[in-house]
Amino acid sequence: MAHDHSFIGKNIRRFDTPAKLTGDALFAADLRLDNPLCLKVLRSTHHHARIRDIDLSAALALDGVAGIFTAKDIPGKNLIGIINKDQPLLARDKVRSKADPVALVAARDEDCAQQALNAIRVAYEELPAVFDPEEALATDDPAVHDKGNLLCKRAVTKGDVDSAFRDCASIIEETYQTPAIEHNYLEPDAGAGIVDEEGCLVIYASTQNPHYDHKELTSLLDLADDRVRIIMAAVGGGFGSKLDLNVQGFIGLALYHLKQPVRYVYSREEAYLATGKRHPFKITVKTGTDSQGKLLAARIRAVCNTGAYGSYGMAVASRSTVTGMGPYQVNNVDIQCRAVYTNTTFCGAMRGFGAPQMALAHESQMDRHAQDLGMDPWEIRKINGFTPGAVTATGQTLGPSVGFPQCLDAVKPHYDDALSDWVKQPVPPFVKRGVGIGGMWYGIGNTGVQNPSTARVEMDTTGKITVFTGCADIGQGSTTVLAQIAAQVLGTDPADIQMVVGDTRYTTNAGATSASRQTYISGNAVREAAGKLAEVLFTEAVNKLKRGRTALKMSGGCVFDAADPDHRIGFGWLARRISDKGGSLSWQGYFDPDTIPLDPETGQGKPYATYAYACHLACVEVDTLTGQVAVKKVVAAHDVGRAVHPDNIVGQIRGGVAMGVGFALMEEFVPGATLSMKDYHVPTIADMPEVVPIIIESPEPTGPFGAKGVGEPALIPTAPAVVNALSMALGQRITRLPADLERVLAAGIASGHFNIAEESHV
Amino acid sequence: MTVHIEFTLNNQLRAVDVPARMSALELVRDVLNLTGTKEGCGVGECGACTIEVDGRAVNACLMFAAQLDGCRVLTIEGLTGHHTDNQEADDALHPIQEAFAEHNGVQCGFCTPGFVMSTHALLKENPAPSDHEMTKAVAGNICRCTGYGQIFSSVRAACTDREGRPESTSDRKGGCHG
Repeated sequence: MAHDHSFIGKNIRRFDTPAKLTGDALFAADLRLDNPLCLKVLRSTHHHARIRDIDLSAALALDGVAGIFTAKDIPGKNLIGIINKDQPLLARDKVRSKADPVALVAARDEDCAQQALNAIRVAYEELPAVFDPEEALATDDPAVHDKGNLLCKRAVTKGDVDSAFRDCASIIEETYQTPAIEHNYLEPDAGAGIVDEEGCLVIYASTQNPHYDHKELTSLLDLADDRVRIIMAAVGGGFGSKLDLNVQGFIGLALYHLKQPVRYVYSREEAYLATGKRHPFKITVKTGTDSQGKLLAARIRAVCNTGAYGSYGMAVASRSTVTGMGPYQVNNVDIQCRAVYTNTTFCGAMRGFGAPQMALAHESQMDRHAQDLGMDPWEIRKINGFTPGAVTATGQTLGPSVGFPQCLDAVKPHYDDALSDWVKQPVPPFVKRGVGIGGMWYGIGNTGVQNPSTARVEMDTTGKITVFTGCADIGQGSTTVLAQIAAQVLGTDPADIQMVVGDTRYTTNAGATSASRQTYISGNAVREAAGKLAEVLFTEAVNKLKRGRTALKMSGGCVFDAADPDHRIGFGWLARRISDKGGSLSWQGYFDPDTIPLDPETGQGKPYATYAYACHLACVEVDTLTGQVAVKKVVAAHDVGRAVHPDNIVGQIRGGVAMGVGFALMEEFVPGATLSMKDYHVPTIADMPEVVPIIIESPEPTGPFGAKGVGEPALIPTAPAVVNALSMALGQRITRLPADLERVLAAGIASGHFNIAEESHV
Repeated sequence: MTVHIEFTLNNQLRAVDVPARMSALELVRDVLNLTGTKEGCGVGECGACTIEVDGRAVNACLMFAAQLDGCRVLTIEGLTGHHTDNQEADDALHPIQEAFAEHNGVQCGFCTPGFVMSTHALLKENPAPSDHEMTKAVAGNICRCTGYGQIFSSVRAACTDREGRPESTSDRKGGCHG
């Protein structure tokens, strides 16, 4: 079986596709409940203020208002957050940002709910606010939280950086900045809920982590596990933001008090205001190489703004230090990242957890060293890039699945063509062309902490297989991939496997759909569960077929003698016999990646069991008169371990490139100014370059059939590649994203591109 | 104030009284319970609410329900089951939907009905669109998942297969489609 991958690597039709095409798929806002109450939240009018009084009397007197709840109505612990619980569901004594919820209204309809919000009187005592993370670090006055403004500091240190710098032939020091980014998933957050006949609160949610939601709800409401049930609705994208509890807590609180159907659908405006963003970073980097371009030392100081609450800020800080120098061997490092509270909308997880921000810095540095030394940017990456057996900055010895050299090699012919031909082709006056590359590595799973997944695989007595998984499929296709993995183990067509996904009454915890972890971690849990079921079927078949275990194989719903395929017995018969004997047809799988917690001072340890690698090439054309940039082509090579569903991987890569182009050129979330999709531009089909996805398979021995992950890696190298290409085109480096019209124009002017005399002989 | 309107929705005559300020999107989703049409932004920026009115793709969030009076309206629900009299075929996907399934043009699916409707309206207006016309037709539809590559392959297949022209080869890899 191990070498027979008949269902792995196949582009089977995704399970969720037909219903999404016909409009039958039910997203949370599509659920039709019996006369549901409409929920709305009153949010703070101040960035930072103490709440002196909340007067609900006028609002409660309105016809159609079913209830209004504040912090004092929360029966359990009024604090949420997956890593550090610092965020009240409803503000208690103070508000820390304009996104902070103060009161929850349940009313007959939306108009009525809005009237109630308008009628609530909150007496605030305004406090000084702080918005700049460096200012917030300098003094704890004002203090966003009682513990101060530092959420956390993470560090990775190794070797002797100061003495290594003394041996460097090339030293580059620079500061890079990236903005807050809005996830802009197409489906604004939504949820709905009912109380079932047994009194259980049933919440349908647009979520990336239904089992975490369950835990938060039981804690908020002080209810036993079986009193809350989370059912994942169809989820219209997440990219990290739907890892936080968005509407689920409000729905639970209203159900708890009112015991009637409720729904809460964020407008796009509320989704912008109230949900987490990508952390803005300021990264100061000093790196040094020897005269051959070999990296010797790196010192990085990064500060990221987590806004009013922690959310995934600690994970972002951890990952940014661990992966801060990219997929390159550096033996002397001193990397620090501090995540800081301020009075803006909180920042949380977004596709890459700090790695995309750090990639701008390390990939720009690589190009600048190459330029400094007269080297080729591809070459400097090749000589510094990780190879199997390399030792990382955290002291981890990498295993055999390190496909970075192959990614570089795959991009090389395109790179050479672009440099020798495309970039030299005649272009109109004031148009400049440039070619750039970007590399990345990305640890699969959470950073240096346990992050297991579980799954259950069951067979009924007719031989029908069902996989139960808590793994949220938010559009990336995990449900189909997990079915393929179970199918491969059990020799059954994936289409014959029933998938029960994201319903906390029936599924067990698979952890978050984040950190590119589900194929690797939940895939392994499914594989283990399916393997256990396969073993009992084999054992029973040995009896029936009178052949040794090693002679038997599984395929097409049967166990058969490999040497005599007609000598077979069906799953149904075997399942009945196992059941009659009291044997189990229901098996649980568990997988937790092999990690070692990081030392809090030095960051030494094993943060991830395995890593994905990638290299992107970008070809850009710049109009230096207008600052307009057209990305013409991106070649994206990704080491995914093993491609379980190649079309899904291509979809991830293309989607990542699009988000990367947005990150590079146009996206910036400005609190208070970015209010609707009119103010926030993401790439349309007309903004997209030609994309050439290249799948590299460097099998991971601990992965399910060799698979790793690709979701976040797909995004990370694009923006650095685009910025490096821009740098070539403009002769000026842009160090702050987005490289929008103004910044590109300014760089062009600084380069003298308005000099007509110079242009005339082009 | 309410307005009485009569229009054809997915080949059926409908008569409803709607508040004057109600959008076509609210009418379709909240009153008529056709939830395949999505609200992504409410300001005409994302195209998730694309429906066809008199053969043209429109953002339902920007139109008043009252403006539908006398119009022929098609939503995603009307695509399946209206193109043939054969019941078995009616249960199958419309050829445009089939192209999206075949070319992996669907990820989270929230933008999908809008893209399908934009493609449908394009083909109604222009049975043999060029690549540029296809791109233009869906340029008002935002997708945050796919990067548009497999969507474009889907649109292209939907537009070219009808003409018997060769299928787009981008994004296709070997392997069965079980």
